[in-house]
Amino acid sequence: MKDVHHAAILVILLSNAVKAGTILLYPTIGEIFAERAGVLNLGVEGMMIIGAFFGFIVAHVSHNPYLGFLAGVLAGGLVSLIHAFISITLRGNQIVSGLALTIFGAGFTTFYGQKWINMNLDTAFHTFNIPILSKIPIIGAILFNQDIIVYISYILTFVMWFVLFKTSVGINLRAVGENAKASNAMGISVYKVRYLWTFFGGIMAGAGGAYLTIGYAPFWLDGITAGRGWIAIALVIFAMWDPIKAIFGAYLFGSINALQFQLQAAGTTIPSAILNMLPYLVTFIVIVISSIIVKARHIQPPKELGIPYSREEK
Amino acid sequence: MLYFEKKENISNKSKLIISLVSLLIGIFFGGIAIAVVGINPFAVYKSLFTNAFGSWYSFSETLVAATPLLLITSGLILVFRMSVWNIGAYGQYIMGAIFSSYFAIFMPPDLSKPLMLSLMFFGGLLGGALWALIPAVLKVFWEVNEVISTLLLNYIALYVLKFLMYGSWRNPTSYGFPLSKPFPESAQLPIIFQHTRVSLGFVFALLAVIAVWFVISKTKFGYEIKVIGNNPTTAKYAGISVGKNIITAMMISGALAGLAGMVQVSGIIHFLQIKLNANYGYTSIIVAWVSYLNPFLSFMSSILFGGLESGGYSIQISMRVSYGIVGLIESIALFSIVGAQIFLNYRLRWKK
Repeated sequence: MKDVHHAAILVILLSNAVKAGTILLYPTIGEIFAERAGVLNLGVEGMMIIGAFFGFIVAHVSHNPYLGFLAGVLAGGLVSLIHAFISITLRGNQIVSGLALTIFGAGFTTFYGQKWINMNLDTAFHTFNIPILSKIPIIGAILFNQDIIVYISYILTFVMWFVLFKTSVGINLRAVGENAKASNAMGISVYKVRYLWTFFGGIMAGAGGAYLTIGYAPFWLDGITAGRGWIAIALVIFAMWDPIKAIFGAYLFGSINALQFQLQAAGTTIPSAILNMLPYLVTFIVIVISSIIVKARHIQPPKELGIPYSREEK
Repeated sequence: MLYFEKKENISNKSKLIISLVSLLIGIFFGGIAIAVVGINPFAVYKSLFTNAFGSWYSFSETLVAATPLLLITSGLILVFRMSVWNIGAYGQYIMGAIFSSYFAIFMPPDLSKPLMLSLMFFGGLLGGALWALIPAVLKVFWEVNEVISTLLLNYIALYVLKFLMYGSWRNPTSYGFPLSKPFPESAQLPIIFQHTRVSLGFVFALLAVIAVWFVISKTKFGYEIKVIGNNPTTAKYAGISVGKNIITAMMISGALAGLAGMVQVSGIIHFLQIKLNANYGYTSIIVAWVSYLNPFLSFMSSILFGGLESGGYSIQISMRVSYGIVGLIESIALFSIVGAQIFLNYRLRWKK
């Protein structure tokens, strides 16, 4: 009897880990593509919180979580265009522009979010079983008894991996990130490619943020993303710019989140400051280890990552 | 069509103009944001300005906010000039506050004031420098991206502070609030202007900005920083030890951020708590950038942004305008200055 009970707790824990991981998976994949095209966007945290905010408000007002999610996705995409304009068209410093985007997101949502603080959503994504797959013992209950946003993330990860490595779209975008000048000579529009994938990064960050406030923690708090955008940027390195590897990173952090929650709910004696520190501490350790591996194996980030391109200069 | 042509000489005058215009763009869009919620932006800005510069006392509060900004920015100028992105002033500030508070909380309170303040001063420098040493060493030896490592260390520092404040450093008589016991008189920085909160820390800040100006323009270290900033590979071939310089500059930058934390607890708050205004660490990045990494421009920017911070704090109460407006204005000003860089480096031309 006791084993059954433990197994049930484990299933709940891991099922929540997948949900928490989904919040990170979307932005990580988005940032992988922006970086592959040569645009470093450190504004993920800002785009996420904007997506979280608009997602929450629209879901709250319309009582429709799907509409809210779309609003969050769109809002994330729109603010990413500020970064695109500054770093691609105006060739501004990408690091500073990205930081500005993060500060913008925090300022914007603090300013307009006041009256929404501590409000709850009365609507949620529908959870449904995938036939056959959900019957697999344990794994079925963890992976295939989720909502549509989680299922989309599974499919998207594989589709985007395929796009990146197996299609001409992927070859072009990687070429732009490796050598913009040569790509331009081959007839690829560098600006267009960079705009497109920066926008994609924004959409995905918005999706992660909206999933946070609609699917995972259905209420509004100031600064609700709490650094998840930065963890996503760290996961890009952990994943070595590969969407499939991003899954493992995202779910690892999802597990830490879920564990933290479960331990707190169970009334652990571990101080909450230590529990809350865990995701950042583990990310820190992971990023150090993966950087060492990246260096040892000579894996290169996209060669022209963060370097603006100008057509006029020869 | 329109295109950009590379410009050779950039005058300081055009830098100053662009800085000011960027701030105005931030204020303009901030005004729109305020109008959207149905508040008169002109009234808000008038109140903000009065609360920042309208009287000697309000101006002194602006100086109080400018002090940590100036201290942190001075250090950031050094590292940013090398294109080393220390985003961790937030955490280094917290660590400086923790290290210096240790003496105020645990040393006998009858220690002589000069000794106590010296211990706290060096504690602040050390706390910040050590916290900056971690990402510096990781960057130099294992190429760990410092943007991410310093940012994560910010969150870790915040939770270290929370751990202490909810644990053994909490004052047993604070009714469960996360506050340390109040600092003894010997642990409080002297006030330099009567009836204000401007402490000796403001003098530290002035000395720091002068020292950084001196280092940049008059020393070999300053010269090497410039070479590394232009091109680290060239610097290496010129026999400059890039790693050593990065570590040194990061530690100085961390130390100054730590000192800002010490000034805040010892000069302003007089106990340790979770809310230390560590966000100065992020605002300083904006100040440094808006000042084009120039120490003297950074002095002026620190006062302007100090005014924005202290005025923004006041309108929160007097006009019920959320403090978020400050972040909005600052970020839009930062976008503008980064975007405007192209008009410094290039000239807009028309070609058929």
